[in-house]
Amino acid sequence: MSPVLQSSNPGAYTDVTWGQDTTSSPDPVENHTPWKKVLYERQPFPDNYVDKSFLEELRKNIYVRRYSYWAVVFESAVVIHQLCSVCSFSVIWWYMDQDLLSPQKLCGFGLAFTLLGYLIFDAVDKGAGRKESGRTRWRDLKSSLVFVAFTYGFSPVLKTLTESISTDTIYAMSVLMLIGHLVFFDYGANAAVVSNTLSINMAIFASVCLASRLPRSLHAFTMVTFAIQIFALWPSLQRKLRAYTPRTYTCVTFIFAVFSVSGLLSISSVGALLFFLLLISVTFLCPYFLIRLQLFKDNIHGPWDEAEIKEDLSRFLD
Amino acid sequence: MAIKIFFPSACSAAENGLLIGRWMAQHKSAVVLATLHFPFIPGNVRSYLSQMERKTGLSLSVIGTWSHSKKDKDEKMDNFLGELGSIFSHQPWLRMARESSSKFWDCKVERMEGEESEDVVLVYYDQRKLMLSELHSASEYSEIAAVFDTVAKHQPLFAKDKYDEGPVNLTHWQSDGVEASIIVELCKQASVPLCAVISFFVSLITSICNLRVLSGKPLSFLWSKMSTCEQLGRRLENLRLISSSEKAQDHTTFMRKANTFLSLFLDVTLGILLMSWLYQGNHIGQLADALIPVADRIALELQELLQWLMGAPAGLKMNRALDEVLGRFFMYHIHLWISYIRLMSPFIEVILWYIGLSACLGLTVALSILSDIIALLTFHIYCFYVYGARLYCFKMHGLSSLWRLFRGKKWNVLRQRVDSCSYDLDQLFLGTLLFTILLFLLPTTALYYLVFTLLRLLVIMVQGVIQMTINLLSSLPFFALLQRLCRSYRLAAGVKFRMLEQQQGKPLRLLMQINPLPYGQVLDTYRLPSSRCYPKDSWGSLCKKLFIGEVIYPWKQKEEKQD
Amino acid sequence: MVYDQKVGCTRRSHNDSSKTTEATYCPVGQAHVICMVSDFFYPNMGGVESHIYQLSQCLIGRGHKVIIVTHAYEDRKGIRYLTNGLKVYYLPLTVMYNQSTATTLLHSLPLLRNIFVRERVNIVHSHSSFSAMAHDALFHAKTMGLHTVFTDHSLFGFADVSSVLTNKLLTVSLCDTNHIICVSYTSKENTVLRAALNPEIVSVIPNAVDPTDFTPDPQKIRTNKITVVVVSRLVYRKGIDLLGGIIPEMCHRYPDLHFLVGGEGPKRIILEEVRERYQLHDRVRLLGALEHRQVRNVLVEGDIFLNTSLTEAFCMAIVEAASCGLQVVSTRVGGIPEVLPEDFIILCEPSVKSLCDGLEKAIDQLKSGNLPSPEAIHNTVQSFYTWKNVAERTEKVYDRVSNETVLPMNERLERLISHCGVVTGSIFALFVVATFLFLMFLRWNTPDSLIDIAVDATGPKGAWSHKYSCKKSRKTMANAKSGSSLK
Repeated sequence: MSPVLQSSNPGAYTDVTWGQDTTSSPDPVENHTPWKKVLYERQPFPDNYVDKSFLEELRKNIYVRRYSYWAVVFESAVVIHQLCSVCSFSVIWWYMDQDLLSPQKLCGFGLAFTLLGYLIFDAVDKGAGRKESGRTRWRDLKSSLVFVAFTYGFSPVLKTLTESISTDTIYAMSVLMLIGHLVFFDYGANAAVVSNTLSINMAIFASVCLASRLPRSLHAFTMVTFAIQIFALWPSLQRKLRAYTPRTYTCVTFIFAVFSVSGLLSISSVGALLFFLLLISVTFLCPYFLIRLQLFKDNIHGPWDEAEIKEDLSRFLD
Repeated sequence: MAIKIFFPSACSAAENGLLIGRWMAQHKSAVVLATLHFPFIPGNVRSYLSQMERKTGLSLSVIGTWSHSKKDKDEKMDNFLGELGSIFSHQPWLRMARESSSKFWDCKVERMEGEESEDVVLVYYDQRKLMLSELHSASEYSEIAAVFDTVAKHQPLFAKDKYDEGPVNLTHWQSDGVEASIIVELCKQASVPLCAVISFFVSLITSICNLRVLSGKPLSFLWSKMSTCEQLGRRLENLRLISSSEKAQDHTTFMRKANTFLSLFLDVTLGILLMSWLYQGNHIGQLADALIPVADRIALELQELLQWLMGAPAGLKMNRALDEVLGRFFMYHIHLWISYIRLMSPFIEVILWYIGLSACLGLTVALSILSDIIALLTFHIYCFYVYGARLYCFKMHGLSSLWRLFRGKKWNVLRQRVDSCSYDLDQLFLGTLLFTILLFLLPTTALYYLVFTLLRLLVIMVQGVIQMTINLLSSLPFFALLQRLCRSYRLAAGVKFRMLEQQQGKPLRLLMQINPLPYGQVLDTYRLPSSRCYPKDSWGSLCKKLFIGEVIYPWKQKEEKQD
Repeated sequence: MVYDQKVGCTRRSHNDSSKTTEATYCPVGQAHVICMVSDFFYPNMGGVESHIYQLSQCLIGRGHKVIIVTHAYEDRKGIRYLTNGLKVYYLPLTVMYNQSTATTLLHSLPLLRNIFVRERVNIVHSHSSFSAMAHDALFHAKTMGLHTVFTDHSLFGFADVSSVLTNKLLTVSLCDTNHIICVSYTSKENTVLRAALNPEIVSVIPNAVDPTDFTPDPQKIRTNKITVVVVSRLVYRKGIDLLGGIIPEMCHRYPDLHFLVGGEGPKRIILEEVRERYQLHDRVRLLGALEHRQVRNVLVEGDIFLNTSLTEAFCMAIVEAASCGLQVVSTRVGGIPEVLPEDFIILCEPSVKSLCDGLEKAIDQLKSGNLPSPEAIHNTVQSFYTWKNVAERTEKVYDRVSNETVLPMNERLERLISHCGVVTGSIFALFVVATFLFLMFLRWNTPDSLIDIAVDATGPKGAWSHKYSCKKSRKTMANAKSGSSLK
């Protein structure tokens, strides 16, 4: 999975400025007992004696990873996907709001794509993932029934939910939530802010907010269903695609990007241009900078470093 | 440390004789209680003193001699008094002498073990005041407390007046006689059967109250919530206390009894005054006529308030559908209430007439009935409040747990902390959907809750004021306050000394006066226990409860379940 | 007043020189007046605190005057005297975080200047790089032209942003400090790198333990039961997560193995979870927080001491344990390999597997019985680290420092800018100038000559003990007299 390579450059820290000084340090020539790096023995050296072995154990940049440009570009596809998801969701919402797209049509397309995705999801790893997680088809059916039933039941409520709240407030809230979705999404980084749950919840919240602005309850129902499809189901399919058929994944990314940019183009050309530039910079510029900046890395390691616990200790508590 | 001699001011003019009193070795002080005059037979004196000792339980002895020479020094008398010391062997032996020519007294201490000579301080005290007063806030072993105790316990010594012929001739404080004693005696005689009758009635009522039927589950709940019943119960308790035939053992129980009696008496007097006012003119009719329109008016005002809430109150953005549902629901309630009042209106006057009779049981009972009536008349407000609070509470709890779900956390009950948790997709979806809906509906519910809480708080405040009045009337220690006002020495907080004169070589003379207890402390010490507790919540916890929508009760909560 | 003091002082030094033939209280060089500064001192408990206290006591014993300056702890404020007249100033400075004071580099100058002048300090010795007050004192001492020494007790990484910042500040603080003391060679390397120092001015003087506090229990009876003792704060840096893996693993391998854990901290929950999960309630005892005097009694209950620290400059705990005659198993991190010789310690990598192997080895040795007796271990270990030795070596540092010159203002500014980079250097140079001006103002406002000189209370020859004993004897005499007159 990882495109990054372990570097093997444990070079000694040579450019120490006082390298010359060490030779002239008070060297007890008369006794030839070598200096030892121990504290429990009284040694015939002054306390500030600097031995030749000083800083011998110093290592530099041992954990630096070398990145290959195209691998990083490939990795950036996850970000592209998520940006495109948000973009196409907004575009579809706009179409619905303007009544340019009928909910029935969207519903049909959504259903078709979901079924297709479901088949691909199982086909791509030949059912290995399903066996591993022990998820039955009956459970999938039940989940989808829950989705549909509750969304359909609540859609009239959603319709009237935010009636008295100003549209601007709703927009602001949705934008905030979508940005939050992008920030907290699990792109594969191992950071503290990442929380898949929060990310999905924020997207659902945004979709419910936006759905409540739509003209009828069927619209609202369709919108929320679409949000589930694009924010919850689509990323899991993506993950599988990326793991098993990277080539297809690249193609899908490209098609998806083209689709969302053109969708945006039909609404606003300036917006489309900006979005296009954003995608380009994320895909090509950012990896370039990442690799360039690696050259300036100067990391010192030695026995004083806090040891890292490398094993997974949570197994003792499961 | 100087030797202190406490000398009763009543004896300063006494004839020559012996000093009778008590020596307190641990404080190095002597309390003179009386002077003994000639002629006496030492044997008689000894037997009298031992008789006294048996009565009081405190040691009493001849501790010295007293000479009061009118003109000039009488050598013979001096010698005689000196020889008396050999008859009564007491260590130390005091020799006090007063010459009318000079202001200063002589005082010698003989046969003192240890040091040769010590300074002597003479302290004059008022025997009567000291005997009657009760010293507060002094440690058990303090010197002053010991002096007070000694004087108070020797009451039998002072019981004789000066016309009594006894085996010995004493000078001390004497009462001016007991003229009023006949009436007092009569009262005492009369009170015994009265008390018996009252206590019989009390026990009768108590046994009725304890009947199985009345203390059953639904009724006992009702009783516990009605302040009238509580007040009656307390009065019954008070009556039992007063009518008990036991004599008060110590000062505290005596004061408690007296305070209770006085407060009961005052209460009933005020109640009867109120009753007489009520039945004089047609005041009851007027009251009944006024009551119905007031209740109607309240209902109308509430209706208007609901109408306002159902619109866009204060420009707030409320969910229209929910707003309407809630508004209609409450409207229907008010409608029910109004019809109930209408139904009641013909009987109101009769009910009030009977209730008015209860004022003869005391003003506090009448007031608690008033408080209960207010509670009944505002029952709809209470209902609204409870509905609003339950709804709001449900929403707050839902929101808080869904907010945790929103963040991907859950509450770990075992460890009492928030843990992270991975939810299924359908859980997430449903949770967020509900979260969104609840969040957008919250302002509407919160507003209804807020308005009805404010109304409820208003009612509680009125009831609280009434309750406070009742508490004040039934817990103020009237007797103690009266004593403090008229006989301030009866309740002593301590003593103060005023210096009289001092001259080199003569004992220092001080006058001991009693510091009365401050009023605040009187209230603190003698306040009658009031069964009604104030709400235990602090302001902070009250606000928190209001915020999370917990229902607050004016009455005290039962002990919370321990789990 | 000043004159009087001088006379007193010369007399004292004269006394000193006359007594050089006598044994203990005799400095070889000159007597210094040393001011120890740190945020960490009693009633706070820890390694730095006891280090400062013990070192001060030994230096007083060697005839120097020592005072300690720290910040006020709740109601403990003002001046207190400890054993041998050791004077402690608890200054009213606000605590910001983790017992470290807030600093502006300026506001503490009036207080510290007053103390330095009235105690006639000539060496300021700061402790711990976490203590803001210590750095403040260094800064002001240099402005006032006093000699400065700094002791670093901790290790620091280089990887993250916070350490980059703190290292920069350390560079600024130490670039013109006369001498630096580290507690182990690893710590020296670390400090030299962090503050970009010349290693010549960094001395290594280890910590010490009081061997009389940590003695083996002679009454101890060997049984089949083997107890592993762990005494440390239960925090991440002490490797408690590793311990949570070791306990089930070892308990599974050895049914007669017991664990005894002393200490408190946020990671306690992990140990409790492990205990519950594997039903080890009878074999794993968690004692909670221990007082210093209880530690020995806990240690002697065990046979093996386990230290799982992830980083450590100089591990006092393993020396204490070895002094109690325990076999020590520890991670090979920081300065730990330097502390004890090979035959007293089993070093492992910081992983569950390696530590378990180490424990297994220790248990095998214990069972085969070819270990030296606890008394033998104690006797060897107690000669390694003594406070007397530490004080002698520190004294040498003081002697060396007092012969050096303190950088004058212009050189100091130059050093700052050339050594710490232009940006940081310039900023702090500005601070140096500001402090200097502030000091000028203070000197003008209250000249040094107007500040009272404090009575020297330190040591067995301190004015305090003399006068006090004098007064006391006179008083008892007077008492006796009055008693006789009364009778």
